[in-house]
Amino acid sequence: MRGNRVRENLTGWLFISPWLLGFLIFTAGPFLRSIYLSFTRYNISAPPRWVGLANYQKLFTEDELFWKCSFVTIKFAVVSVPLTVALGVGLALLLNQSVKGMTVFRTVFFLPSIVPTVATTVMFLWILNPTTGLINRLLQSFGVAGPSWLNDATWAFWTFVMMSLWGVGGSMVIYLAGLKDIPTYLYEAAVIDGAGPYQRLKNITLPMVTPVVFFNLVMSIIGAFQYFTQPYMMTPKGGPDDSTHFYSMYLFDRAWKYLDMGYASAMAWVLFVVVVGLTAIVLKTQSKWVHYGG
Amino acid sequence: MAEKTSLGSRKSIVQWIGVFLAVISVAAVFAFQQPTPRRYPKRIPVQFWHRWGGEWANVVNSICQRYNASQDKYEVIPLGVSGGSDIKFRLGVLGGDPPDVMSMWNGAIPDMADNGLLTDLTTLMSPADRDYFFNQSYPVVRDSGMVDGKVCGVTIGSDLYALYINVYQLKAAGLDADHPPKTLEELCDWGEKLTIRDKAGNVKRLGFLLSQLDYLTYSFGDGLWDPSTQQIRTNTPDNVRALQAIYDFRKRMGQDKVQRFQASLNSGSDTGGWPFITGELSMTLDGQWRVEEIRKYSPKMNYRVIPIPPPAQNGRTMGGCLTGNFMIIPTTARQKEGAWDFIRYWSGFTDPEASAQCFNDGGWLPLSPKVVQTKTFQKWLKGNPQFQTFLDIAGSPNCKPLPPVPYLQYLIDGIAKAEDRTVRGEMAPQAAMDDLARLMKQELTKRKELGYAR
Repeated sequence: MRGNRVRENLTGWLFISPWLLGFLIFTAGPFLRSIYLSFTRYNISAPPRWVGLANYQKLFTEDELFWKCSFVTIKFAVVSVPLTVALGVGLALLLNQSVKGMTVFRTVFFLPSIVPTVATTVMFLWILNPTTGLINRLLQSFGVAGPSWLNDATWAFWTFVMMSLWGVGGSMVIYLAGLKDIPTYLYEAAVIDGAGPYQRLKNITLPMVTPVVFFNLVMSIIGAFQYFTQPYMMTPKGGPDDSTHFYSMYLFDRAWKYLDMGYASAMAWVLFVVVVGLTAIVLKTQSKWVHYGG
Repeated sequence: MAEKTSLGSRKSIVQWIGVFLAVISVAAVFAFQQPTPRRYPKRIPVQFWHRWGGEWANVVNSICQRYNASQDKYEVIPLGVSGGSDIKFRLGVLGGDPPDVMSMWNGAIPDMADNGLLTDLTTLMSPADRDYFFNQSYPVVRDSGMVDGKVCGVTIGSDLYALYINVYQLKAAGLDADHPPKTLEELCDWGEKLTIRDKAGNVKRLGFLLSQLDYLTYSFGDGLWDPSTQQIRTNTPDNVRALQAIYDFRKRMGQDKVQRFQASLNSGSDTGGWPFITGELSMTLDGQWRVEEIRKYSPKMNYRVIPIPPPAQNGRTMGGCLTGNFMIIPTTARQKEGAWDFIRYWSGFTDPEASAQCFNDGGWLPLSPKVVQTKTFQKWLKGNPQFQTFLDIAGSPNCKPLPPVPYLQYLIDGIAKAEDRTVRGEMAPQAAMDDLARLMKQELTKRKELGYAR
């Protein structure tokens, strides 16, 4: 009996070993190694050299760009995360109606989120071209001179906020699934009690969908702090007046452009701590606003 | 019912076997996929990594084939690693699987040399090689591959910038291309005259745009590097003057209008869509490889190439800064002799005629005037007379190498940022350059504190 159990366990470990080895070698190993590297001077070409807290000290006390990029990223998270959550929930509510052809609408709204990021970014580069782009041409037809978008320090940041809403279809589908999960008897009881549409939304729909909002909120916060591909493709040098110089771009440049791996590792750990901290805060507050009642 | 279940499970087993076989077949195809078979399997292989892709890779491959056909000891095996090539090189060296020879942007060489990754090529040179390299090459091309007196790279194609002029558009504007501007100020006047705008003032054709501060500093003064003190130059009066000139001209042309026009231009670098060929730019500062590009894509185009004229006050004629592809041999290369033999072939140490063909194929600047003097090169030059301007600049004492510092990329990015801030009106030229000086000082202090030699 005992032998069988051992064999069963061994078989289980054997089956998961490819994933486990991959995780240990390609994820856990580099993850732990980067902690060590953040306390070293390391440029790939020579072995790491211990410098203690020097990277962290320089990051916090001497590096203006670090603070500038941090500010841009926090601003982006503060603006785009609530917007994407609100828009996602709003769209899901609209697409949860019993209207003819609803599946077509759902597909249309979901489609942008499955287009590869690079393709979407290239498309936006065309659309936002200040001279030949679709948006400025449309504005021009109304006699309005459109802005320079990515070349304008005032507009560049907001362009990325606008773009972040483009992929809201992915979270919308999850909200929609959450809405479908709400038991109909709750609405039936509310109707019998005389509750109107607004009251049903406020007292049943929104509270019942909060577990999904919570999940998407955490994921959106993590995504916002790691925002990289779009700004790196569209404004690789950080945009006008560093207005689109996101934290992960600066981290990437420090690591791969200036070969400052120790410094970049320190930046990565600061980012990790901030994201974990924010996630912990959201987790801590969930008891006050997330409803798991069925 | 039992029969049905049995049949069902049999069908299911067959399906699973099918899937299994398909997966095995795909895996086998990839696992046993052989690289292109070697043409000369009995020779000593020389692994050559280069930074070119697309059409340029074809040019490089044909040069390798000619080298392989020219001797019977080595076989050079080219591999294009464009995109992050310096990182790939470092990882190859550190991972124990380096190339034997690699073409590298010379700006990356000082850091690699500082970290002991590169072979001092003088250790592979014969006395005749030394004579050719030290006494018969263009000084600026020779020095661009040297770090602290060591030869860490030898050029296989250097790059310089000069002013391309569209003769047809000049004539239409009443300007004479055979009597080009003598000063930078005059050039800016021509640029404004050649610019075409619509009724709203939007730019439809740009006559000229003064930019590229890092290059212009060599027309205004001694550029970015002081060899006597071994220090970078940032906010020197000459460099500030260069940035001031860029700012003044941009203001005159209208920064917003110019920027909008620039955003609409094709940024394709190696196709016929270059805005100078398409006529959207009348005069532009660009590299010598465009001569070959014009020959390919617009052979009938009437154009001239002239050195960028110096400013009226305290300017330097034929000022410039040389960059390009330089051959490096890692210290851990397995086949250094073969690698060096290939470099000698391409750079003209052994046969300048064969070398000339290599440089002509890509429209690159050679290491030595000896290559230029060959029949092959002279014949090509006759067909591409505008290339002579670049040879003249290469021979000028005002044409300098890049600052040989390991933090060059940081410096270049800082200069680009200072220029960008100035033309956008965020900072005055003096303030932008002072800020650059401050940031560079901060970065250098940081490097020093972290224990870097430079």
